[in-house]
Amino acid sequence: MTLQPLSARRYACTVLFWLALWLLVAAAALVLGARVWVWESSAQLGDALRDALYGVATASVVGGALALAGLAFQALLRNPLASPYILGVSGGASLGVILSSLFVSVLLQPIFGFLGALVTVGTVYTIAQRRGRLEPYTLLLSGVILNAFYAALIMLTMSLVKPETRGDIAYWMMGNVSRFDLQWGLVGLVAVLAVGAAVVFAFLAKGFNLIAVGEETAGALGVRVDRVRHVTFVVASLVTGAAVALTGPIGFVGLIVPHLLRMLLGPDHRRLVPASFFFGATFLVLANLATGLLEGAVAPFPPPPVGVLTAMCGGPFFVYLLRTRWRRTAEVQ
Amino acid sequence: MRVAGLALLGLALGCSEPEPASPAGPGTPGGERPLRILSLTPNITEILFAMGLGDKVVGRSTCCNEPPEARALPVVGDTLHMNLNQVIALKPTLAFMITGREEVARGLESRGVRTVMLESDTLPEMFDSIRIIGRETGREDAAGSLVARIETDLAAVRRRVAGLARRRVLFAFPMTVGSARIMVAGRGTFVDALLEVAGAENAYPDRANWPTVSPQKVIAAAPDVILVHAVGDEGAPDRLEAIRRAWAEWTSIPAVAAGRVHILTEPYLTIPGPRVGLAAERLAETIHPQLQERSP
Amino acid sequence: MAPNSRSPISGPGQAAAGPYVEVRDLCFAYAGGAPVLRGLSLEVARGRFVGLLGPNGSGKTTLLRILLRLLEPASGEVRIAGIRPADYPAGALARRVAYVPQGTSSVLAFTVLETVLMGRSPHTGALGFEGAGDWHAAREALRLTDTERFAERSLEDLSGGERQRVIIARALAQEPDLILLDEPTAFLDIKHQQAIHRLLVRLRDEKGMTVLCVSHDLNLASAYADDVVLIAGGQVVAAGTPAEVLRTDILETVYETRVRIEFDEASGRPYVLPRPEE
Repeated sequence: MTLQPLSARRYACTVLFWLALWLLVAAAALVLGARVWVWESSAQLGDALRDALYGVATASVVGGALALAGLAFQALLRNPLASPYILGVSGGASLGVILSSLFVSVLLQPIFGFLGALVTVGTVYTIAQRRGRLEPYTLLLSGVILNAFYAALIMLTMSLVKPETRGDIAYWMMGNVSRFDLQWGLVGLVAVLAVGAAVVFAFLAKGFNLIAVGEETAGALGVRVDRVRHVTFVVASLVTGAAVALTGPIGFVGLIVPHLLRMLLGPDHRRLVPASFFFGATFLVLANLATGLLEGAVAPFPPPPVGVLTAMCGGPFFVYLLRTRWRRTAEVQ
Repeated sequence: MRVAGLALLGLALGCSEPEPASPAGPGTPGGERPLRILSLTPNITEILFAMGLGDKVVGRSTCCNEPPEARALPVVGDTLHMNLNQVIALKPTLAFMITGREEVARGLESRGVRTVMLESDTLPEMFDSIRIIGRETGREDAAGSLVARIETDLAAVRRRVAGLARRRVLFAFPMTVGSARIMVAGRGTFVDALLEVAGAENAYPDRANWPTVSPQKVIAAAPDVILVHAVGDEGAPDRLEAIRRAWAEWTSIPAVAAGRVHILTEPYLTIPGPRVGLAAERLAETIHPQLQERSP
Repeated sequence: MAPNSRSPISGPGQAAAGPYVEVRDLCFAYAGGAPVLRGLSLEVARGRFVGLLGPNGSGKTTLLRILLRLLEPASGEVRIAGIRPADYPAGALARRVAYVPQGTSSVLAFTVLETVLMGRSPHTGALGFEGAGDWHAAREALRLTDTERFAERSLEDLSGGERQRVIIARALAQEPDLILLDEPTAFLDIKHQQAIHRLLVRLRDEKGMTVLCVSHDLNLASAYADDVVLIAGGQVVAAGTPAEVLRTDILETVYETRVRIEFDEASGRPYVLPRPEE
């Protein structure tokens, strides 16, 4: 694959391939998820399709958003093990949703979730910036601080409420795609942000490659490293925050998808950005379909939230990575 | 109340039969020791007061708020967090609690308090619990008359709905944070029995206690009436609005199309105790609105 | 030669164009640290191979970073081809100036070809698509550095010398007019040291490139460079041909150690030899 340089035509082929794969999987998920053969009346079929469509749409935008954010944070922090939640944005969005449901208004959940994410972005930036620059190490440290802080606040909230509310909060934190009250507005917002992020990161992909080689090298090749870092940080955090406000923190998508694609396509971010976007969507659509198909499979248990399924993929995946000895640093003498 | 519902869910997954009460232990009535009762479950508290044993109750759990007279009693926590020493200071001789928390029962027994674990997840079990309480406290007569009174109440409701078309009803609970799935009353629960008394058929198709369902499950069940049980904080205006909006999405459900989604806020609807007759009546009047015009 | 005076380094064919790199009274200190450059002035004519020498900490790498616009000078004038680095539009400076850093640590395993193609990024568009011209420049760079046979291999699989040649190929792929190198042969054996210096001379001859090479190796600089500039204490101490600069009196003052100078018979270039203490 590295035999040829990346021309505009090859790029378009890459994009089209992953887009087509996603469309195929989404269409199958729509049909299988709605179980179109089961319904007698067209009204019921219509509702079932709406339910399935909401599931496919949500899984697509959230999967794409998380995969992109994961890729971007891995580039930003120069660490292939970074996840979209590493800087605390998921904690902020989760806390916003939880507090809004309990103390403000359950109808304002999405808004407060996104607000929580915004507050986190501002806080991390304030803590991490040194003379207007964002360095990977200080960003990472700020993320650790904020994650600890949010975990404590969420635990505090859970300890103060009734037992059944505690259970509801824990269930939400596992990450769910399907709902009774369809949040089309928030899905639209996440879609806009995810597509926007894909476009922005496509233009920054060259810079990601160079920054991965070295900050000085990148600067000498014309990359505005500080600007790339700022933009990446803000865009990736916003899209993560919106996704978490919509579905709760679904784990491992942002970690596994970029890794898988890197193993398949190589480390070139120009290919990885569109692939991550569409394959992240595909991945989560498949996971969500799996949870739908598990309905009634192990009676009397309900199917687990989609976040449980993605988490169960995480462990084995990293065992596999360890076994194939993922190589990292190359010291050039 | 949600507490009762989820506690029942917990025990339903565990045991299937009520603990048989062992033959007369210390504190048998007519004997030397006075009766000092500890009640750790809301429905049992109501039953005790309905049997005229309210003056014998020395302690209650946090959630035992009915009848109003019970609120004056000292609180000892609940089965999850109980201060056993505080309990002993009240010198109870007999304790009633729900099944599933054996370690609490062992703790009480080891301090000389006879503990009886009762389950009331179905109507027959509830009647059995009343009889067991009667036996343990030596008030079999009071127990018998309470059972008869409840059966009379239920029979009255059955008569009122006799001949009315049986509606398919789904009895649901709202979720607090997010609404991925909704808990409903399955076949075999006492709520299910009350629905049957109220002239309805549980729309949830399978036999299961308190299952959670997805939107497509409800679409498939196609209930004519949906009853949402929102108690206390869950009855706040924004929550009620959220519940309405959540259900309004699914217009293929007959209940939604016909505007038959009702939100009920009375706590006694899910407490298997003396007020089940009242609960059945409330359910009947909601499910069959024509009854409300007839009643005085 | 008095320090601080502007020391023009001229060569054949330079007269009309003016100096390619012009630095005047450059001052710089890292945040919270002592001044590293204290009024450094220097000029480099187009098409010259200049060795930048000096003790550790004298400011050589800092000077390179300022030329590359990686750092902002505190005061002083810096011009490359008559324009200040900060005034170059985005990417334009990188099309003119290439950098071969001392060592790189990449977190990702790129292949040799991918690495060399990265040198084209100042020329490719916003999305980074590579055209036939980019492909050609990369191939040419690989040929010049004799690394074509490694094209498909991962960079970290190569030896130190091979890797360094690839990094130089990356710089060449930029098709620069000026190439800045920071100790390019620091950890290489003599075979590779000479190979790389010969390559730099070829580039000067064939492509008219201006080469500015920071080095600790006084003798390599003496053997290959047209001119050398000796920097100490953040200022230029001496500048001129190797014979003019590499003199016992100057070197012993700057390096604070005893040395011996001998001359190559054929070229007349000086060689600096250590003097074990008597």
